[in-house]
Amino acid sequence: MALFVVFQTTFFLTLLSLRTYQSEVLAERLPLTPVSLKVSTNSIHQSLHLQWTVHNLPYHQELKMVFQIQISRIETSNVVWVGNYSTTVKWNQVLHWSWESELPLECATHFVRIKSVMDDASFPEPNFWSNWSSWEEVSVQDSLEKGILFVFPKDKLVEEGSNVTICYVSRNIQNNVSCYLEGKQIHGEQLDPHVTAFNLNSVPFIRNRGTNIYCEASQGNVSKGIEGIVLFVSKVLEEPKDFSCETQDFKTLHCTWDPGTDTALGWSKQPSQSYTLFESFSGEKKLCTHKNWCNWQITQDSQETYNFTLIAENYLRKRSVNILFNLTHRVYLMNPFNVDFENVNATNAIMTWKVHSMRNDFTCLCQIELHGEGKMMQYDVSIKVNGEYFLSELEPATEYMARVRCADASHFWKWSEWSGQNFTTLEAAPSEAPDVWRSVNSEPGNHTVTLFWKPLSKLHANGKILFYNVVVENLDKPSRSELRSIPAPANSTKLILDRCSYQICVTANNSVGASPASIIVISADPENKEVEEERIAGTDGGFSLSWKPQPGDVIGYVVDWCDHPQDVLQWKNVGPNTTSTVISTDAFRPGVRYDFRIYGLSTKRIACLLEKKTGYSQELAPSDNPHVLVDMLTSHSFTLSWKDYSTESQPGFIQGYHVYLKSKARQCHPRFQKAVLSDGSECCKYKIDNPEEKALIVDNLKPESSYEIFVTPFTSAGEGPNATFTKVTTPDEHSSMLIHILLPMVFCVLLIMIVCYLKSQWIKETCYPDIPDPYKSSILSLIKFKENPHLTIMNVSDCIPDAIEVVSKPEGTKIQILGTRKSLTETELTKPNYLYLLPTEKNHSGPGPCICFENFTYNQAASDSGFCGHVPVSPKAPPSMLGLMTSPENVLKALEKNYMNSLGEVPAGETSLNYVSQLASPMSGDKDSLPTNPVEPPYCSEYKMQMAVPLRLALPRPTENSSLSSITLLDPGEHYR
Amino acid sequence: MDDWDSWGMLACLCTVLWHLPAVPALNRTGDPGPGPSIQKTYDLTRYLEHQLRSLAGTYLNYLGPPFNEPDFNPPRLGAETLPRATVDLEVWRSLNDRLRLTQNYEAYSHLLCYLRGLNRQAATAELRRSLAHFCTSLQGLLGSIAGVMAALGYPLPQPLPGTEPTWTPGPAHSDFLQKMDDFWLLKELQTWLWRSAKDFNRLKKKMQPPAAAVTLHLGAHGF
Repeated sequence: MALFVVFQTTFFLTLLSLRTYQSEVLAERLPLTPVSLKVSTNSIHQSLHLQWTVHNLPYHQELKMVFQIQISRIETSNVVWVGNYSTTVKWNQVLHWSWESELPLECATHFVRIKSVMDDASFPEPNFWSNWSSWEEVSVQDSLEKGILFVFPKDKLVEEGSNVTICYVSRNIQNNVSCYLEGKQIHGEQLDPHVTAFNLNSVPFIRNRGTNIYCEASQGNVSKGIEGIVLFVSKVLEEPKDFSCETQDFKTLHCTWDPGTDTALGWSKQPSQSYTLFESFSGEKKLCTHKNWCNWQITQDSQETYNFTLIAENYLRKRSVNILFNLTHRVYLMNPFNVDFENVNATNAIMTWKVHSMRNDFTCLCQIELHGEGKMMQYDVSIKVNGEYFLSELEPATEYMARVRCADASHFWKWSEWSGQNFTTLEAAPSEAPDVWRSVNSEPGNHTVTLFWKPLSKLHANGKILFYNVVVENLDKPSRSELRSIPAPANSTKLILDRCSYQICVTANNSVGASPASIIVISADPENKEVEEERIAGTDGGFSLSWKPQPGDVIGYVVDWCDHPQDVLQWKNVGPNTTSTVISTDAFRPGVRYDFRIYGLSTKRIACLLEKKTGYSQELAPSDNPHVLVDMLTSHSFTLSWKDYSTESQPGFIQGYHVYLKSKARQCHPRFQKAVLSDGSECCKYKIDNPEEKALIVDNLKPESSYEIFVTPFTSAGEGPNATFTKVTTPDEHSSMLIHILLPMVFCVLLIMIVCYLKSQWIKETCYPDIPDPYKSSILSLIKFKENPHLTIMNVSDCIPDAIEVVSKPEGTKIQILGTRKSLTETELTKPNYLYLLPTEKNHSGPGPCICFENFTYNQAASDSGFCGHVPVSPKAPPSMLGLMTSPENVLKALEKNYMNSLGEVPAGETSLNYVSQLASPMSGDKDSLPTNPVEPPYCSEYKMQMAVPLRLALPRPTENSSLSSITLLDPGEHYR
Repeated sequence: MDDWDSWGMLACLCTVLWHLPAVPALNRTGDPGPGPSIQKTYDLTRYLEHQLRSLAGTYLNYLGPPFNEPDFNPPRLGAETLPRATVDLEVWRSLNDRLRLTQNYEAYSHLLCYLRGLNRQAATAELRRSLAHFCTSLQGLLGSIAGVMAALGYPLPQPLPGTEPTWTPGPAHSDFLQKMDDFWLLKELQTWLWRSAKDFNRLKKKMQPPAAAVTLHLGAHGF
């Protein structure tokens, strides 16, 4: 048993040693560890480039191997990437492999090692990994120039949306480094005390001059240096869109595409993307010089099919699109030429054109478009080289534009460009009679007919209407027709016809001919048929009219009306079977009354007025209020009337009136209702429903009360405008009675006055007979007869007062001198028996102030004797003078002996007379003292009879002094006025 | 502010136009000395200053932020080849006319070369047109300075062979640094034009003829 155990152990040990030997032999036979590993860097591409060899490979034998590569950063333990690289390896081959680092290589030391394993079918399993090669260190930092700060990667070109890592290396860790992207500070991850990295995710395109990133090293506030990079971000290259090729002449293929965004960058970092055309059948390639089109020369006539690839390329990307087509299917014809029109007349024309010849059996499909009168017609036609098309059903005298385009008929690719030309058809005679209507004004003996017609539409005019012919034919008497030619564009004419029936034909004429005639007949009977006017209500859309059909045959109806405010007659023709129509036009204005007349047209073309309608398209409230008169005012009533108010000229049908009454009474009068005005005040309102009732008696009023009234009309749209109330005050009840008494009294007085006037002579003679005229006195004839034939009688008006002698009375009679005339007039004469003197006003141009005599104490006895003398009785009169005047005989003597003689002796300059009062006090000659010392009338003085006395008699001598003194009695102002 | 700019430009243009016909007229009436050409150069400098303000705005916008930001003021680490306009005040004062003019002439010769390089890089047609127009104006200024120097009897500085500045789109320069160079070019140009205006103003005052001569000059031209 023990032997068995020893044997077994020996066997296993032998087996184990055999196994170990075998593997050692294999390993020794194939020592496949990568050797001679060399690592280089490419700063521009940020890549590590590895190269190595594998020793001991069988000669002339290719073996498939797998290499595992490990890359560490900063230190070997910090593995940042592990990957396998499979390849076939030949004897003595140098293997290459690259790795791109996301971190700029300048910012960190990298370590690389590699191991391998056989992965070839010729070598049976199991395969073992070789040992790792030794770490290979890669450091670019050592190659950096002198400086304190570096930023990497330098001027990198990336596509928009990429992730970029940048880093800086600061030599001095004392420096504080801040980094900025487009002016904004960015924060990164510190890899070691000198190096910080920043990960920029999905970088955007900002500008084609690159995105500036810079770092600034500073100590405190002192900037030590600034360093930066420009990151060029390119837009992503787009695939060309709408790529197509076509030929116009089978010689050149014109290919076009939409290039999309231009990816060019500034500083020559990246030019615009290039485009290359590649044709796979011929294997030819062409670099396109334009970014959106390229011409390809067709060299082989036999090649019909083309397979084009368009390649767009920039530094970062390549995009391509492909099209495969048959050349004959991509024919884009040149636009037709020599477009012309032949045989153009009023309604048709022949259009001709040519196309560029392509091949002998080439057929074109052409499309013609005809534009005219706002319409477009389209026709298709197949042609070879010369095109021709007959354009029919054209409108006369119309300008048309015809254009044509063509395409390959066998394989339609696309239409050519249009080629077009304008043409105008010729005129034709107007095709329709003008629409004619008339208005008839019947006057005694004749009719004035105004004909109206509507201009023909362009469709019917067939050209320019030059004139209208109006032919008037008398139907009652055989006579020659009268033709009037009215030049266009007139649309009416006036005819004066006698009382016969007339047929009027109207035609419109252009350069080619006349239109069919429009016939209208004016009957001999005057058109004075009384037709009641009916009111209708209009709407916004117009007026809806309906009428009773005319008995008998009618060929139609005509509705006419006037457009306001132009006052243009409008009409509408309605068929014979229609008895209603809607007149709608934009010309209708709210608040304007429109009168419609409906005529029936008989078979003889005589119009007969059937109905009249009137209405408003929209009624408005009255524009003005009536002028209200208040009369028959009594203490209990008054009457309001507004007869002048016109209900016809209102912007609506007047339905009645509202009478508003305001009074102090709280209760409204009978028939009145309470109403509230727009201003909130309350009043009483009376409604008159009849528009023609234009008066109202307001009764049951209180005497001596004030009332306010206001009358306003109303239509369906409302009342008239607001206006002020009129005030009415009722009189006193008794005042009327007073009038009843006073009126007869006034009448009586008037009667008496008339009687008095008529009997004035009698009254005069009875109450105040005339003062005898001295000229007519009998005494004068007596004197003349006896002595002096030159004797004259002094006229009272000729005298100039020089002095007044005043006789005062103690009873308060007060007479002042002439200078105080005012006080004289104001003086109350208690005893009007005295005579007083007044000069006549403003009469100094004559002989001098005159004296008016007013003698109420006229001596009846003297008067009776016909003597013009005043004989007042004064006990104080001096006996001498008194004696002189006491009797007529004495007077007569004086006149005879002295007085008359002395007159003749008066010098020419002293013709004025002096009145000397019998009681005149001696006057001082001092004129200065006069105004302050007026003559005070002596106590109980009174006027004595005055008479003209010769100067010699009155004064001892007619001295200058005396004359002066008498003048100064007058107020200086009065005297010389 | 824009209104002021427009008025300023208009005023400058008017002044330039006013003086252009005056120069040959003066030559006919006698040697006027370098005064008018200094004035002309001064006016051209002011006009270019204004023109550059508008051009720089457009171009810096084209470069994008941060170059178009008003407060962007990076330390001048690169762009060493550009002639520096900034100089110590005392040094500037101590410069004689010849040196002053020579420095101006040399600076604009260099700047013009760089500007032409800028023109080649610009991507938009409008910007290219503006740059070309400005280059022509700057060429004119260079001619004016040469004229002043000739009038004063100074020889033109001869460029040393091999030191002719050329614009090279070198791969050594990163795009960011190129942008930075452009930024500095425009900034230096601005400073140079400002400095030149001061230089020519100073020279103008210095060369101004006596008052009597001025009166005669004005009278000769019908003022």
